[in-house]
Amino acid sequence: MLEVTSLYKSYKNHKVLENISFTAGPGECVGIVGSNGCGKTTLLSILAGAARADKGSIRFHGREAVGHQGVFNEEAAYVPQENPLMEELTVRDNLSLWYRGSRKRMEEDLETGAAAMLGIGDMLKKQVSTLSGGMKKRLSIACALFNHASVLILDEPGAALDLECKADIRNYLEGYKKQGGTILLTSHELPELSLCTVMYVLKNGGIRQIRSGLGEKELIEEFLTTP
Amino acid sequence: MWMRLVFLKLELKRAYQRFPQMFAGAIALLFLAGAIALLAGRALYGDAAAGRIAVGVVLPKEDALAKQMISMISSLDSVKSMCDFRYVEQEEGIKELQEGTLSAVMDMPDGLIQGIMDGTNPSVRIVMPGDAWLESRIFQELTEAGARILGASQAGIYAGNELYLASGRAEQIPQLEKDLNQIFLAYSLPREDYFRHQRVSATGDVEVPVFYGISAYVLFLLLMAIPASGYLVPCRPIMRQKLTLAGAGAFIRVLGRILGLGSLFFTMSLVVGILGKALVAAATALKEGPAWMTGVARALEGARLLGRDSGGRAAMGVMSQAEAWLVLLLVCLAAAAFVVLIYQAAGTLLGGIMLLFLAVTAQHFLAGGFLPEVFLPGTLRRLVPVMPSAILMGGVRMAVTGVWSGSAAVRLLMLLAAGFLLSVCLESRREGRSL
Repeated sequence: MLEVTSLYKSYKNHKVLENISFTAGPGECVGIVGSNGCGKTTLLSILAGAARADKGSIRFHGREAVGHQGVFNEEAAYVPQENPLMEELTVRDNLSLWYRGSRKRMEEDLETGAAAMLGIGDMLKKQVSTLSGGMKKRLSIACALFNHASVLILDEPGAALDLECKADIRNYLEGYKKQGGTILLTSHELPELSLCTVMYVLKNGGIRQIRSGLGEKELIEEFLTTP
Repeated sequence: MWMRLVFLKLELKRAYQRFPQMFAGAIALLFLAGAIALLAGRALYGDAAAGRIAVGVVLPKEDALAKQMISMISSLDSVKSMCDFRYVEQEEGIKELQEGTLSAVMDMPDGLIQGIMDGTNPSVRIVMPGDAWLESRIFQELTEAGARILGASQAGIYAGNELYLASGRAEQIPQLEKDLNQIFLAYSLPREDYFRHQRVSATGDVEVPVFYGISAYVLFLLLMAIPASGYLVPCRPIMRQKLTLAGAGAFIRVLGRILGLGSLFFTMSLVVGILGKALVAAATALKEGPAWMTGVARALEGARLLGRDSGGRAAMGVMSQAEAWLVLLLVCLAAAAFVVLIYQAAGTLLGGIMLLFLAVTAQHFLAGGFLPEVFLPGTLRRLVPVMPSAILMGGVRMAVTGVWSGSAAVRLLMLLAAGFLLSVCLESRREGRSL
């Protein structure tokens, strides 16, 4: 369960986020949409603990995370737009960097966990720089989930991927949701947004809930509507 | 904690993936430096660089004293080490000078010794060819130094003479000159003896080839980072953000870089050491190998790092071979800290390569790596102790000679700490910007 209350963030005099509040429960997928530069990435990086909010509260299963980096580390799995991978190293090396737990458990996870489900179990010895963009994205998700977090935060997961890869990742996210995981994602693509059970529009620093399952035209209209 | 250890292990792995590039870069650099040195040597000195200075001496007829004096001068260590004196007729000497077999001709005037004794000082005519710049300069320096010594000695004797004349003791002047000669010799001979045993060199307590070997090694070590530039570029913002989130902050990231590059440097040094050992073994096996090989092998065998180890301390302040290698490890880590700082300051791959090249060559010059510091202008000489190359050379010198120097070790530690802390500051600033 993720509870966000009165979150504020500004860069110098520019207010990026203003009084952001929402909740996301287990098995829910929350979509954040908005035009380019509206602050989606800033919001997600704050929710993942990678950036600091000026004010506000973020609670994971009732535990306050603001000011407690350990809570973010335990509860949030963050997949940024750019892949945070060590390109010169192997897939296994990258996974081992982010893994929280014993070596034995890691081997088990590689067999049955997120890595296996994302289809990267059989390329552990490959160097990351030789992987395709889609495989790198799968690896990024697997790395993020290697801390066994309950909230998966994805920043445009399907950007620059081919259709097959997008479908694979979507299927995985569908399964993650069914298993009770919470997903928070930003996207500009309708198939990805179709996963969302709850949708919000971020505009002029504020957030507003909209109906999920909207089409392209309706979404654009929502973007244009002043909150 | 576990994540940090895994990160450090992976940083080492990343570093060692650059080893083949670094090794190939080292070979290319050696080849390039060798070619430049050879071509520059040829261009500057031609074929005469390795030769001695042949000097033709034209003596006045039947002047045994002049011949005796030349014989005495030619037996002086400083002259003997680089000049060959040969008696020639004037015409023959000029002809040989034109043919290039002689570097200079000394035409001795009649009554030279008598002239020195009575103070008329007849000039010795020295003829030099116009195109033998290096030999001419050296020989000119030698003759000028000789003239200065002679002038100073004469001034002392003349001062005594003048004093005795003024005090009305002219008849005692011959005795005075005799006494002055004896006292002068009594003081000058032990001084000569002192210099015979205490080597005084522009390069300090190591011989010139060893000094330049140390300097070349440090320059080589620092420039070896260029092929590993991809490893040294600061993290991408997203990677930095994720690592910080996971607990690997600026401190651990910079530590990982320095350990990775330092261990690469040390491995390269081990390879150089193994090649050196192989050269020593080959020179020993060949017995009568090429002169350069025997010379280099002798210098390497003299180094504490490669020579035979007695298994412990030979004397107080003398390091064992293992300790010498530990000092070299410290040198490698300090060099790595300096290089990591340069890449942190530059921020980009191309900027890092350019800054490293410029900073390393400029400060290596200021550190007295190309020209020993005694030849640098006074204002630049004050900068020498703080130049990273000078600090690293001090450490390598310690490892080579095996003589422990607390101040050199402290300076190495300070370079390591300064490089580390400044890099952490720069990395933290970037971290602050990305958070």
